Amino acid sequence: MNRGLYLIKRLLLAVPVMLFGLTLSFLILYLGPIDPVGTILGRQATPEDIRQLRIQLNIIYPNGEPVPLWDQYLRVMWDLFTLEFGQSWTVQRQTPVIDLIVGRMPATIWLGFWSVLIALFVGIPLGLYAGLRANTYRDYFASGFGIIWRAMPNFWLAVILAGLITAGGALDWYKDFIVTTTVTGTPDVLNNLFTLYHVFEGIPLLEALAIPVPNLIPMAIAFKWILPAALVLGSSSMGNEVRIGRTAVLESINSKYVDTAKSKGVSGRKIIYKHVGRNAIIPLLPVIMGEFYLLIGGSVLVEQVFGINGLGNLFFRSILGPDIPLVMALVFIFVIIQVTVNIVQDLLYTYIDPRISLEDTQ
Amino acid sequence: MSSETHADPTAGDTEPILTVENLQTAFYTDRETIRAVDSISFDVKRGETVGIVGESGSGKSVTARSIMGLIDSPGRIMPGSSIKFQGQELTELSDAEYRSVRGSGIGMVFQDPQQSLNPVYTVGNQIRESLKINRGITGEEAVEEATDLLEAVGIPDAKRRLDEYPHQFSGGMRQRAVIAMMLACDPDFLICDEPTTALDVTIQAQILDLLKDLQEERNLSILFITHDMGVIADIADRVNVMYAGQIVEQAPVEELFANPKHPYTRALIDSIPGEHSRKEGLETIEGEVPTPNEPADHCRFAPRCPKAFDACENVPPQHVSVSDEHDHTAACLLYPEDLTESHRVEKHLSLANDDTEGDT
Repeated sequence: MNRGLYLIKRLLLAVPVMLFGLTLSFLILYLGPIDPVGTILGRQATPEDIRQLRIQLNIIYPNGEPVPLWDQYLRVMWDLFTLEFGQSWTVQRQTPVIDLIVGRMPATIWLGFWSVLIALFVGIPLGLYAGLRANTYRDYFASGFGIIWRAMPNFWLAVILAGLITAGGALDWYKDFIVTTTVTGTPDVLNNLFTLYHVFEGIPLLEALAIPVPNLIPMAIAFKWILPAALVLGSSSMGNEVRIGRTAVLESINSKYVDTAKSKGVSGRKIIYKHVGRNAIIPLLPVIMGEFYLLIGGSVLVEQVFGINGLGNLFFRSILGPDIPLVMALVFIFVIIQVTVNIVQDLLYTYIDPRISLEDTQ
Repeated sequence: MSSETHADPTAGDTEPILTVENLQTAFYTDRETIRAVDSISFDVKRGETVGIVGESGSGKSVTARSIMGLIDSPGRIMPGSSIKFQGQELTELSDAEYRSVRGSGIGMVFQDPQQSLNPVYTVGNQIRESLKINRGITGEEAVEEATDLLEAVGIPDAKRRLDEYPHQFSGGMRQRAVIAMMLACDPDFLICDEPTTALDVTIQAQILDLLKDLQEERNLSILFITHDMGVIADIADRVNVMYAGQIVEQAPVEELFANPKHPYTRALIDSIPGEHSRKEGLETIEGEVPTPNEPADHCRFAPRCPKAFDACENVPPQHVSVSDEHDHTAACLLYPEDLTESHRVEKHLSLANDDTEGDT
């Protein structure tokens, strides 16, 4: 089967996965003890206001009859799959959900980007280093570092780190290091990371295309601000990458094909990057892709502690609301991200490891 | 040295390409020192196949890896060991110098063809790597040469199979591909460490025939390691029998099978399944190979030897000639046969003393 066909098949199979995820979220929300009307109107609401709002939120029909659950379910699902995300109920009443999400996206993307990258660029080289110098003091140091990072829970590390920096702890100097920044809250520079240049001015169609050019100073400030949070969010993945990277290198370097390559006269350096490297990446791939799972769950917590106005924070508040249109829209996006990551991972496997094929086994 | 390079080409046939002398490879662990290879000496002449045979754990593979310079910590080749390849002392080489000997000088085929090819690169890629490193052949020419090599080792449809991955090859095909990869280095000397052990018998015979043909075409010298007496009988010209890190008997192959002298060799030959084992059951050697963790001040085979006597426990046997016509030696206190027991023990003791004095 070629990759295009495989992709189509996987995309089709993603539909039931999405349906399942969304249905489950819907049931948990609607069957739970929620009272959006009470939250929105407060205690002073008149019965008429309540009735009007219930009709508006499609909880009761205008004649006072309750709308059955399946009817509500069908409407919610239909709206989601036609990308009609509706308006927020409680978080920011009557603001379109899509505006809320788009507004919070930059902070979370920035956080996610750096937490994946830091973990990747620290964890993997350190793991490979430990593996290449197995059972030396350098290895013990590197893998010990990995184990410690892996062992510290997100929520604990986030509180400790935020406390050490902001509450006059040992890391107090960090705030004024090079440039003065905060580490909590969401700075305005986030909206100023790129300048869009419309280079095709005057040319029809191409006109709409703009080239984003990074603004270095705001980038640096934003990086310094996000570093502690990104470190916390990426910490366990980083630890995992050190450990799995070390094992993968050890396994590969002691294999027969490395002996064979040596017997051919291949140089030590080439053995490492050609013969060991590619084989060591195979077990690392799921760890790297697994970071995305952690990011979605972890960002809720880390954004809360560091006071970052991102999607995780929004998700948390929308559930407390409850702001059902917002929750469903966010779940919809999270499931799409997850399904996409899985498909990308399976496709990447076929490029990295030729033993994995897309053929059906029968 | 210089006389060797100017030597008469016909004389080259009998000159050793590889001379191993007093090779000792030991592994140091916290608890003990394992003398995996304990003072062995043998040579391999140009165009000849020398076999090393012995049970598992007798030090055959460590011998091969020592020659290839593939001994890793905690293993070490002891000072006083000598491995001379084409007049060059290998034990003194640096890593970089060793690399130039590997491949173009000495190639090695490992036991398990399932694992000796890198699973993530095509067979063609791995053969071309050999060509590039050892002969500087790249590009279109390398593809052609690789195709020729695969054809030479008997892989049909070679051009197409170059682009296939190792897992798409069968076991026998894979071992052929490994051999092609080693031939791509154009070595003078090939070490085969149990190359047929993981293969079934018909494929085994094909690989042995292939090695014989290649040897004839390219005047290859081969060091062939196996635990299978049948395979040794088929392929080797001369045989070294190894036991617990030592060579216990050396002889030309026909002589060895016709007149085995060392009790261990006899036991090995008796344990080959055959006509008589059908009637009386298969002969076995009781016990197992001891871990050679003590200095060799006794005969290591003595505890399992049916002919052992008291002296075997405290006299290290030395190689003595056991045949008038052939180059046949055995390290056993039972020889030379024409002497009395006390004279034999004395002779071995004095040989052992000469040896240690020679070392210092």
